[in-house]
Amino acid sequence: MLQVRGVSHAFGDRAVLDDVRFDVVPGVLTGLLGPNGAGKTTLMRIMFDVIDPISGATWWQGHEVTPADRRRWGYMPQERGLYPAMPAGEQLVYFARLHGVDREHATRSAKDLLEELGLGDRWSDRPDKLSGGMQQRLQLAAALVHDPEVIVLDEPFAGLDPVAVEELSKTLLERVRAGRTVLLSSHQLDLVQDLCESIVMLDHGRIVLAGRVADLRASSGRRQLRLTIASADRQWLAALPEVTVVEDLADDLRLDLPPGTDPLAVLDAARAAGQVTDFGLELPTLSQLFMAAAGELAEVS
Amino acid sequence: MGAGAWWEGTRMVAGRNLAEGARSRAVRITTLILLVVGLAVVIVPKLLGDDEPTYTLATVGEASAPVRAQLDAASETAEFAVAYLPKGGAQEVELAVREGDATVGLAGSTMFVRTDAPGSFPVLVAQAVVAEQSAAMLLDAGLTPEQLAEVTSLPPPEQVEVGPVQDEGRAGVGFIVGIVLYLAIVISGNVIANNVGIEKSTRIAEVLLAVLRPSQILVGNVLGIGLQTLVQLLVLSVPIIAALTVTDGLDLPSAAAADIALALAWFVLGFFIYAFLFAAAAALVDKVSEVSSVITPVTTFLVVAYLAAIIVVPQDPGSALSVFLSMFPLTSPMAMPVRWSSGTVPEWQLVASMVLAIGAAVLIAWFGSSVYRRALVITGRRLKLREVLPEKG
Repeated sequence: MLQVRGVSHAFGDRAVLDDVRFDVVPGVLTGLLGPNGAGKTTLMRIMFDVIDPISGATWWQGHEVTPADRRRWGYMPQERGLYPAMPAGEQLVYFARLHGVDREHATRSAKDLLEELGLGDRWSDRPDKLSGGMQQRLQLAAALVHDPEVIVLDEPFAGLDPVAVEELSKTLLERVRAGRTVLLSSHQLDLVQDLCESIVMLDHGRIVLAGRVADLRASSGRRQLRLTIASADRQWLAALPEVTVVEDLADDLRLDLPPGTDPLAVLDAARAAGQVTDFGLELPTLSQLFMAAAGELAEVS
Repeated sequence: MGAGAWWEGTRMVAGRNLAEGARSRAVRITTLILLVVGLAVVIVPKLLGDDEPTYTLATVGEASAPVRAQLDAASETAEFAVAYLPKGGAQEVELAVREGDATVGLAGSTMFVRTDAPGSFPVLVAQAVVAEQSAAMLLDAGLTPEQLAEVTSLPPPEQVEVGPVQDEGRAGVGFIVGIVLYLAIVISGNVIANNVGIEKSTRIAEVLLAVLRPSQILVGNVLGIGLQTLVQLLVLSVPIIAALTVTDGLDLPSAAAADIALALAWFVLGFFIYAFLFAAAAALVDKVSEVSSVITPVTTFLVVAYLAAIIVVPQDPGSALSVFLSMFPLTSPMAMPVRWSSGTVPEWQLVASMVLAIGAAVLIAWFGSSVYRRALVITGRRLKLREVLPEKG
């Protein structure tokens, strides 16, 4: 198990991480979420000893992480790094060998991985001659080529098209099922809510929400009622002050119901106002949970 | 981290740099050119040197035996050949010289000399004629042939050279060595700065830092490029050193071989002193296009040091300023090889200057690593040096 234990950090007077502590369990894809500037990248850099925290430490398998442990970890930074003129295959072999893999194994592993990521015929190509999407896959390969026990990816989905998001998710889930410990960060909360099993949400360097996604969404007590209603009349909502409108687009209406509100009573009120052709009851999204949690925290402090 | 593991990672970083150099067309072409230049310095003078000049002496009838003997003996030591052109009379001898068939013509007591004849040959001919005539007169005056031999074998006064033992050929070698060292340090420094800039701006540095210590990345980069440059310098200089030591065919003093070998040692020292400065400066960039501007202070200092070395030192290698330039570690790698080639430097000064340079290289490596380590992880903007200076205490 990977443990972040009470990590704090500051740049000058500005605190960027405040006593952050959470666990990442092998086989459970974990998301480190939060808006830009929440401290995600700084935390990952601290986990890899790229920068020293003011206090706290990262633990692995019950002891503080050593450089030898980190050689069996893989890291993909947010701003991607590849040698522009070094052929793709050689580059992967080099990164694998830096992690202590011998040349023979590194070569085989690099070949397999390029094949898996659809870059099988790109061994001798320079990265600066590859398309943007291929470069991103090559960067992922560089983080995975030594078959790391711990995989940490900073904003891996940033800038990817939906097909690429799907492919990357598949690759990561395979590693998770194989028992690897995987942590990824994202500021696109709703993009990863169906992918990550567990999440840690940061805001201004503090954890505002953490746990299994399913539990968090179910236990909030909040629901969203989605209605397709053949009427532009919204007067009936005035009788339901606890209900807030999330979205109101032509026929589509999305309502947020606080805990204790009976969704069926709201549905009946809507039906009285006009014909309801479709409806659904949904759990809140991660971004809604985040807004709620961050709002509460802001009020408390 | 143990020394073994440290070296293992450092070696891989250096190896990657070497491999990238070997792959680069620019590096391969440069190395080939250096090889061609190195070989050309050895081969071209040989090709030209085989063509020793031939001077022709035109005479009325056959040239006399004593004159021939004197000129042939002189030609062996002075590296030229003598040809003889017998003519029927004085007018024909004069015509042969006028038309360029002969360098010098002899007719009785008259010597015809072409206006463009090389200075030494007419003098040799005149000496030979005078020697022949004076020998005849001495024999006529009653000297025995033994006494005559004694008179002609009188040794000339022994020459003792005074003043500074400057050798122009050797000083010329020192000058060229200075240029090559300066270029090698500037070019390799720029390659290092560029590599550091690429690694930082593309965030490769972050991937590397996750698994390597900053010192491993820095030293690996410096060693890789340093080895590559050293190989190029060896390609250039080994043929020349070999030719100077093994054969005697070059028009250069053999002491120059040792000077060039010493210059390679100076390259290593100068390279380390400046390489870490270049790397530390380049770590301040955010974008790779900023590299040339952040290394400007280092490059400027290097240019000034070099100009001081080649302008001040050759004029007066013994002046106080020359001595200072050849001792101060930031200038000594260029100034001392130039000064050393003047042949006037006491050995203790060479040793002292090298020791100072080694000490400075170690200090600068420490300083450079420290700046590099701090600068590498601050991204998003170009840094100022004072933000990443080593903390006091």
